[in-house]
Amino acid sequence: MLFPTLAFGVFFLIVYFTSWSLDRENGRRKLFLLLASWFFYAQWDWRFVGLLIASAILNWGVAALIARDRERRAGAKGGGWLVALGVAINLLILGFFKYYGFFVEQAGELLTQFGWERDLPLLQIVLPVGISFFTFQGISYVVDVHRGKTPPAKSLLDVMLLLSFFPHLVAGPIVRAADLLPQFERTPRLTRVMATHGVLLIVWGLFKKTVIASELSVNLVDPVFFDPTAFGAVDIAAATYGYAVQIYCDFSAYSDMAIGLAALLGYSFPRNFDQPYRAASMQAFWRRWHISLSSWLRDYLYVPLGGGRRGLISSCINVFITMVLGGLWHGAALTFLAWGALHGGVQVIERLGRAAFKRRDGAEAGPSRWGTLVGVLVTFHIVCLGWILFRAESFELAMQMVEGLGRIGPVVMLTPLLLALIAGGLAMHWLPPRAVEGMAERLKTAPSLTLGLLIGAAILLVEAVRPEGVAPFIYFQF
Amino acid sequence: MTNYRDEPPIPLEPFPVHRAESPFPPLGESVAAEPLPEPELAAEPGSESDPPSDWIEKADAHDLAVRHDAGRENALVALGRFAFPPGPPPDDEGLAARDRRWTSRMIMVAAAFLLVFNAVSPLNWARQQPPGWVPETVRQLSEVWVARLSVFAVDQPRQGLREMWDAAREARFIGQGEPDASTPAAES
Repeated sequence: MLFPTLAFGVFFLIVYFTSWSLDRENGRRKLFLLLASWFFYAQWDWRFVGLLIASAILNWGVAALIARDRERRAGAKGGGWLVALGVAINLLILGFFKYYGFFVEQAGELLTQFGWERDLPLLQIVLPVGISFFTFQGISYVVDVHRGKTPPAKSLLDVMLLLSFFPHLVAGPIVRAADLLPQFERTPRLTRVMATHGVLLIVWGLFKKTVIASELSVNLVDPVFFDPTAFGAVDIAAATYGYAVQIYCDFSAYSDMAIGLAALLGYSFPRNFDQPYRAASMQAFWRRWHISLSSWLRDYLYVPLGGGRRGLISSCINVFITMVLGGLWHGAALTFLAWGALHGGVQVIERLGRAAFKRRDGAEAGPSRWGTLVGVLVTFHIVCLGWILFRAESFELAMQMVEGLGRIGPVVMLTPLLLALIAGGLAMHWLPPRAVEGMAERLKTAPSLTLGLLIGAAILLVEAVRPEGVAPFIYFQF
Repeated sequence: MTNYRDEPPIPLEPFPVHRAESPFPPLGESVAAEPLPEPELAAEPGSESDPPSDWIEKADAHDLAVRHDAGRENALVALGRFAFPPGPPPDDEGLAARDRRWTSRMIMVAAAFLLVFNAVSPLNWARQQPPGWVPETVRQLSEVWVARLSVFAVDQPRQGLREMWDAAREARFIGQGEPDASTPAAES
């Protein structure tokens, strides 16, 4: 059940009205939301609801044991082995479903090279949708309880809802326990500004996903990436820029809709995107792109590795490892590994460059206006190069895309409409940074009838121009 | 990525979690206790003050500007207020319920609008589903609904938008032809 479908619309209306009718009894409301979330997840594959439940019980149990261990030690930190156990089991589940096939295949090739060819047990494993997201949430919960950043949940119900809550379940944002558990503990409130903001985010997300991302995907990106040798430089460049816009509009649309849906149910989710293509460096890009993942990687991987505490070289190594593992998180393929290495490598160069050009007094010279512009352009094009690796089915196809950028040929795929969509997708990065919030502030005083008609008209516009059917969100596969 | 754990956090709260304090004072305090003092015009140094005027004695009282007293209330409004005294201002729960009702009304209005102007959407959905009791029921109901509404031409806005979009989609740059039948674009 995808967000931009009629079935989901009906499902959400039922959930919205039923959950608010239960608002006097928070426990029942949460139970209803949990059952609704399981129903939502079961639309993909009901068998994996069991995995979701097992994951919640595991993380709740480990966190409870950590808290009990701490009580026994009278507040002193301990129970490191419990955290290690919890994280290891989470990673084992993730690794089995996501990386088993990849590692068996690689091991088989390696053994063949040494002349020890063996029939390794290959299994056809179905990847549960959203497993990376709820596993990461589980890990963050256990680690945060251990670090004392969040108290253990008061009930198993809260942990189950934390991992299963349907707006973020299949493609994030990765909501931390410290953000969501306190909200579950009290009866939520819905204010006008929250509701207006939520509805605007949903409509904006619908537009980005079903109009911009779908149109670019079907009519430009997919055909060109399928066979780059059939196209000239203009089409290949357009497909590359088009994919940059498509993946932004696709993923940020999901995040926007998730935040909007949660807001209508009275819960606040973290922001996940902040106009990433206006970043003037790769470091700034990762502060604006998939913020919940980059901050997760920072807190649970980069910092435990040592972060920047042991000097420049150590920080460079740590950031490179973090980005490579971040690439591997996206999928078990060498292209993702190379994508992570590219991002990590550029960040290392940036760090070394900043250290080399640092003034003697230790202050960093701020870039000029032109310097910022050049930084934005360079960063954007490096990101686009990374997107070629990210999107291509194999290294060969990625190389064909890069080679094609120098091939003169007729313009076949790019049309004025597609060019306008690419330009529009990039131009939205230069809107005022909090445009939707500002609009929500203005519209919150409007009568419900006016706002309802406006929202209805906006959805009608989207419905009228969208292609038939909806492709799944790109990040569902991760 | 950041070097330091304690770096300023990435903005996490697009929505206020706690209800913000109302910018307005409580009703009883909103009426000013005393009128503001009239500003006194200071005489410029060196200038002579005006002589006493007798204009008030020669003026017709009916020509004087009428001053509206902000404190006085229309008699009908006062009567209405007496007959139907306003209730106490709503508490937090009352405000929350009011906001929820407002949101629900907005959602219902948008849904009703789409049910009329986007009536073909459920029909399209039903046609794309595998055969079953629910899709078939939705299809039959939707067909009747769409046919009834088409009498009022409410499907025209959607149709018009679609035609405009299709025209934009078909547009090509000058000198640009259609994709060749052998290209993957044409195949896809």
